[in-house]
Amino acid sequence: MDQSHIRNFSIIAHIDHGKSTLADRILQLTGAISDRDMREQVLDSMDLERERGITIKAQAVRVMYTADDGETYQLNLIDTPGHVDFSYEVSRSLAACEGALLVVDASQGIEAQTLANAYLAIEGDLELVPVLNKIDLPAADPELHARALADLIGDDPEHVLRISAKTGQGVRDVLEAVVTRVPPPAGDPDAPLRALVFDSVYDQYRGVVAFVRVMDGELKSGQQVRAMATGSDFTAEEVGVMSPVMTPIGHLSAGESGYIVTGLKSLVELRVGDTLTLTASAAAEALPGYREAKPMVFCGLFPVDADDYPDLRDALEKLSLNDASLVWEPETSQALGFGFRCGFLGLLHMDIIRERLEREYDLDLITTTPNVEYEVTTTSGEMLEVRSPVDLPSPNHIEQIEEPYVRCTMLVPQDFVGAVMGLCQERRGNFVTMTPIENRQQVVYDMPLAEIVLDFYDQLKSRTRGYASLDYDPIGYRQSPLVKLDILLAGEPVDALSMIVHRDSAYARGKGLVERLKETIPRQMFEVPVQAAIGGKIIARETVKAKRKDVLAKCYGGDISRKRKLLEKQKEGKKRMKHVGSVEVPQEAFLAVLQLDGASGQ
Amino acid sequence: MTGGDPAGVAHLYVHLPFCASRCGYCAFVVEVGREDARDAYLDAVLAELERERAVLGALDTVYLGGGTPTLMGAERLSRLLGAIAPMLAPGAEVTVEANPETMDDALAASLAAAGVTRVSLGAQSSRPHLLGILDRRAQPGDAERAVRAVRTAGIPRLSMDLMLAVPGQSAGDLAADLEWVVAQDPDHVSWYELEFKEGSAIARGPHSPPDDELAADLYEQAVEGLEDAGYRWYELANFARPGAECRHSLAYWRARDYLGIGVGAVSTLGGERRRNAPGLDRYIAALPGGEEPPRTREAVDADTRRRERWMLGTRLDEPLDVAWAGDPDNPEALVVLEDRGLIERRDGTVLLTRRGRLLQNAVMQQIMDFA
Repeated sequence: MDQSHIRNFSIIAHIDHGKSTLADRILQLTGAISDRDMREQVLDSMDLERERGITIKAQAVRVMYTADDGETYQLNLIDTPGHVDFSYEVSRSLAACEGALLVVDASQGIEAQTLANAYLAIEGDLELVPVLNKIDLPAADPELHARALADLIGDDPEHVLRISAKTGQGVRDVLEAVVTRVPPPAGDPDAPLRALVFDSVYDQYRGVVAFVRVMDGELKSGQQVRAMATGSDFTAEEVGVMSPVMTPIGHLSAGESGYIVTGLKSLVELRVGDTLTLTASAAAEALPGYREAKPMVFCGLFPVDADDYPDLRDALEKLSLNDASLVWEPETSQALGFGFRCGFLGLLHMDIIRERLEREYDLDLITTTPNVEYEVTTTSGEMLEVRSPVDLPSPNHIEQIEEPYVRCTMLVPQDFVGAVMGLCQERRGNFVTMTPIENRQQVVYDMPLAEIVLDFYDQLKSRTRGYASLDYDPIGYRQSPLVKLDILLAGEPVDALSMIVHRDSAYARGKGLVERLKETIPRQMFEVPVQAAIGGKIIARETVKAKRKDVLAKCYGGDISRKRKLLEKQKEGKKRMKHVGSVEVPQEAFLAVLQLDGASGQ
Repeated sequence: MTGGDPAGVAHLYVHLPFCASRCGYCAFVVEVGREDARDAYLDAVLAELERERAVLGALDTVYLGGGTPTLMGAERLSRLLGAIAPMLAPGAEVTVEANPETMDDALAASLAAAGVTRVSLGAQSSRPHLLGILDRRAQPGDAERAVRAVRTAGIPRLSMDLMLAVPGQSAGDLAADLEWVVAQDPDHVSWYELEFKEGSAIARGPHSPPDDELAADLYEQAVEGLEDAGYRWYELANFARPGAECRHSLAYWRARDYLGIGVGAVSTLGGERRRNAPGLDRYIAALPGGEEPPRTREAVDADTRRRERWMLGTRLDEPLDVAWAGDPDNPEALVVLEDRGLIERRDGTVLLTRRGRLLQNAVMQQIMDFA
């Protein structure tokens, strides 16, 4: 199709602000899906995502729309992931578009992530179409939020569309705006092929399926294709579009979006952000903006039952097939045995993977304290990347430690600004700016990522009654006075409970942690000292007192089977415990390190 | 060791389920308000005994438990004991359980005449407020009267049951019970920790068990008090004057075979454990026709037997002969437990220390894999 009749756009919206509902309406209105086949939120295909109200995997859907001008347009709706952990993926999806709908809940207003993604879109020169959704709700305040939206993108409040995706009101106006306001693509159809991979999924029967936007040139099925960054070569086994199911059409030309079945066996061979070109007549230069997704958060995952280790490996392999940003390597813990150290894009990513492992693969897991990657310079001048506290060299071999910092942007109602600033100060934040947006403040802090990966988000929500929203971006490494805090049970250090903390908060963290461990570890047959130490020096101690009595009251002829079964049942319960030396430690103990309340001195 | 005793089973238990009311802590097979069925039940019990008597050798011990066996009345008990008498070995121990309020001089005399050598009185406590929580019907003075009746009748052995860790029980309450029971001078005391068993009324009621610390205090207080008074703590919950241990119970703890007769009764015979189903009417209906009463069966295989011997044998204050009981599943645990002062090992035996006995359950979990 002629590029003048093509529009590529995506929807930027906060969780729950109605992106999926709007996408569904667009599919219905353009006849891409019949009312009868309509399923709520067609674009979110995974249950877990649906439960969490978020979309992880972007997809592209093509619809044909006959506009008020009588012409028929090809609209490619490119879905974007909706969470802070996936900002790189969002940026690639946006790079595939000329415009974006900026959808905001008319009662809730702009949230931090929407803002962050809107900035990404503005940086990418996208035409933004502001849309207020849910105007049918009683709490909607379209005037207030329309002004704020218009301010944000430098537009007129009158240009802000007011719709209800739920009822369908105003959805046609949205499509008209896409046609009239979003510019058509302007690629060179005769240049060598350059197609941006903005998403990829692994299909167990067809291998890697890439979602692409053709910038220049043309791609036909059967052609030999090369991924310019990874160097992978493959045959385009099938070329087509989602409408909304996979529909082969044989070719994609400049300006169009669609999918390619590559036959590749792993997502590692085809990364989001890569540029596809033809092997025979390769483009000279790849499209800009490619970078490898870099894990930011690490934790150990160990099976509660050591026998489940092969199953855990299997499950991680399967998940990796469809998630190139999940990295993992074997890790051995003295306390927890064999497991894996896994790297994630962020906290949500970690939560999702852990939940999928437990839910879809039926694994009981122990998760160790999440941490970031430290850059350690040793006294001999060597540079180490440390992803686990266990790997931190002893203090006398450390010249300096640097930790990753992020710029945190929070949107906070005026009443809670003090609470949020207090929280950020506690977490070693450096104030950057504060700017009013609508009736709220945009508060910006530079903070160590390590302070965020624990419970920062939960704390932010609880101290603002859920009103604050958060977005963060890495801003590089900074030197910090960090120390390794060790936990000893019955005199033995437990590697899985070690953590790297700021020197000034080590005492409070150690004290809080041993207190919580004392509450979590059940009484044993022996007294168990619980100690926190820095470099061999004990800084806090609690004691789990010895159990004094554990007997089955009476046992006569009629009771023997019952008592034996009681012992069997108790044995089952103990299976969920980890033996750390002579101490039986419940899984919850390894999570105790995650709760910092009381440790931060409140 | 899967076959039964070649000389025949030497231990007989008979379950007599009738009760005037159900106590709040009780999860046993009992029948309330069914006194009309006592004659039919006795016939059925005698029929089952007849059916099973082939497995019996000369009986070393007999135990009539319940329920409230004394609610059967003197005459029926005499008939039952009369049927058992020819099977008794010389010097056999014949125990009858009794609630204090059901024991009087006439009943005691009749039991003595029928060959009863031992009465186990379910006193539970001397404290009225604790008896109230336990739904016991005994009034102040009933237990003392019952003790006197047993003595007057010349029944040589007397045991008293008491309870600890009753909701609301203080150290003072326990001290009072201790003083009281020692004053009654039984030659045997069973002092049980109250269990909040699933299905019992007390587990559903408003009372919660005392916390672990207090329960441990009360337990130790009972043990020490009875030892000071000259009783031997020969089993986790049982105390006896020298030579007055309950031989019937010892048979259980030494993992001997036993035959259980009556509704809900359990037998362990060779490699099999079987349990008569609860349900008085079905039991009564089955037996006079010579049918087997409704039962469930459970195989006691070699591993189970080994684990049970450890579980039962370590309840006693006598060393467990490892060669007899069978190998521990986790021999390395024995070393750790010995180092920590929970067990003693000597000449192929294992004996729990005093501290180890209070933790017997946890010690067993270390030594054996209850799978």
